[in-house]
Amino acid sequence: MRKQLRFTGVGGQGVLLAGEILARAYVSAGKYGIQVGTYTSQVRGGPTKVDIILDDEAILYPYAVDGEIDFMLSVADKSFQLFKDGVKDGGIIVYEPNLVYPNDDDKARWKMFPIDIIAIAKEKVGNVITQSVVALAIATKMNGIDKDLVFNTMIKTVPPKAVEINKKAFELGYQATEEVLAKANS
Amino acid sequence: MSREVVSTGNQLAAKAAIDAKCKFFGGYPITPSSEIAHEMSRLLPKVGGVFIQMEDEIAGISVALGASMSGVKSMTNTSGPGISLKAEQIGLAFMAEVPLVITNVMRGGPSTGLPTRPAQQDILQAQAPTHGDYQSITLCAGSLDECYTETVRAFNLAERFMTPVFVLLDETLGHMVGKAVLPDIEEVQENLVERKVYEGDAATYEPYNVPADEPAILNPFFKGYRYHVTGLHHGPTGFPTEDAKLSQELIDRLFNKILNHKDEIESYEEFMLNDADIMVIAYGSVSLSAKEAIRQLRNEGIKVGLFRPITLWPSPEEKIDELCNKFDKILVAEMNKGQYFNEIQRASGKKADEFETFFKANGRPISPAEFKAKIKEMV
Repeated sequence: MRKQLRFTGVGGQGVLLAGEILARAYVSAGKYGIQVGTYTSQVRGGPTKVDIILDDEAILYPYAVDGEIDFMLSVADKSFQLFKDGVKDGGIIVYEPNLVYPNDDDKARWKMFPIDIIAIAKEKVGNVITQSVVALAIATKMNGIDKDLVFNTMIKTVPPKAVEINKKAFELGYQATEEVLAKANS
Repeated sequence: MSREVVSTGNQLAAKAAIDAKCKFFGGYPITPSSEIAHEMSRLLPKVGGVFIQMEDEIAGISVALGASMSGVKSMTNTSGPGISLKAEQIGLAFMAEVPLVITNVMRGGPSTGLPTRPAQQDILQAQAPTHGDYQSITLCAGSLDECYTETVRAFNLAERFMTPVFVLLDETLGHMVGKAVLPDIEEVQENLVERKVYEGDAATYEPYNVPADEPAILNPFFKGYRYHVTGLHHGPTGFPTEDAKLSQELIDRLFNKILNHKDEIESYEEFMLNDADIMVIAYGSVSLSAKEAIRQLRNEGIKVGLFRPITLWPSPEEKIDELCNKFDKILVAEMNKGQYFNEIQRASGKKADEFETFFKANGRPISPAEFKAKIKEMV
């Protein structure tokens, strides 16, 4: 079963790592995962997208297909507006409510979940760089991917000195996702 | 035992260089190729090699050539704009017969173009990167696995034919992260090619006095074998000459050492062509999209296959001729305005209007959906 995910932000936010970890997790489980980023030549501030394809079978073309994307996470309005139409109708979009501003049509077309991704990383974890792992945890939960598999891959991928802080980031991201899902279902 | 890794194409090209026992890297960073330099700077010191980032592209290739002349396997890396800058020294490598691997992770051009986006606009540049008469060897990776295997092959061909060898990646392959299955390291290293060394009397050593279709035998510098290296036309000892016969023989040999050994250089893939009604010709990352489209179209009962040149130069011209004259319906797809299409027409003797084409030069990949739409029009 193929899953197509897209992380979007602006250059410099460091969303590449989350995609790489998901791809690695799938490969370590004997499946297939590919991540490919698209960015602009602006050093900071250009719209960035990272496509992740996860599948039980070999993946050839590495980019997600617009109109078929199951899940998108966005931490910048510029990128949200530019890339949202790639998400299939009824697909899931998680957005940072302080930075992304969906309208009522967006909320009718997709399952939209606001999560304070940057605030969690900056204030609760204590380092904004960990937003990538917060986003990873959100994508893991939202897409029903094996939590332990991703968590263990993350620990092996991040630098040794950053393991503890990223464990915290992962748990807080995962919890925030559980909360937002519980709220939507209540 | 093959090795399974999760990596980018750029990291794999660097890993291949290390496994091929490259011991020197000289270069200058440029998007989208810089990660090859990053990896080399990390890996080379661990194997006793030397990495140096120079002040510009020209200096980068210059030191790499110097290292190669001293006898070590050497590499430089760049993207199209960097090849333009290195052009003069690439010419010296062709002329003096200095082996060198040059990876080019292609981005859009001309000039500084589209730095962060994929393209295949350096195909003709790789064939003729500098002035004069010579034959280029250019390999083009079409998967993550091949970012590794083609780089290894480039080192072997450079040493065998004493010439610069280009490995073309593109931004998509260079930056994508996925699973690659690499050959066993012992297998790679058992098959490494080392350049020939002259072991006779130093007094009678003539490095360029070799058979008419064989490369020069250049001993490493500083080992007691003295010879001259120049970009001028030269005779057996390497000293400049304007002798008409020697000049002609030199240039003929630069051609024939490649063209008479095409069987050692040529490489291509035929994918689902046996029973196909339609043939797609594509290479590099575009072939991944073509294969995805072919897989989906076959499920719909449309018989389509792919021909993928891996060695672009010298081209597999006999195979192109055979296949293009076997198929009536052919689609040529490139991320440029048709740079290899010229060669396909030349090799096959068919005219442009006998092909369908899909050329894209806007820095965006050709998607499987675009392939499918185009192929369905041809059914």
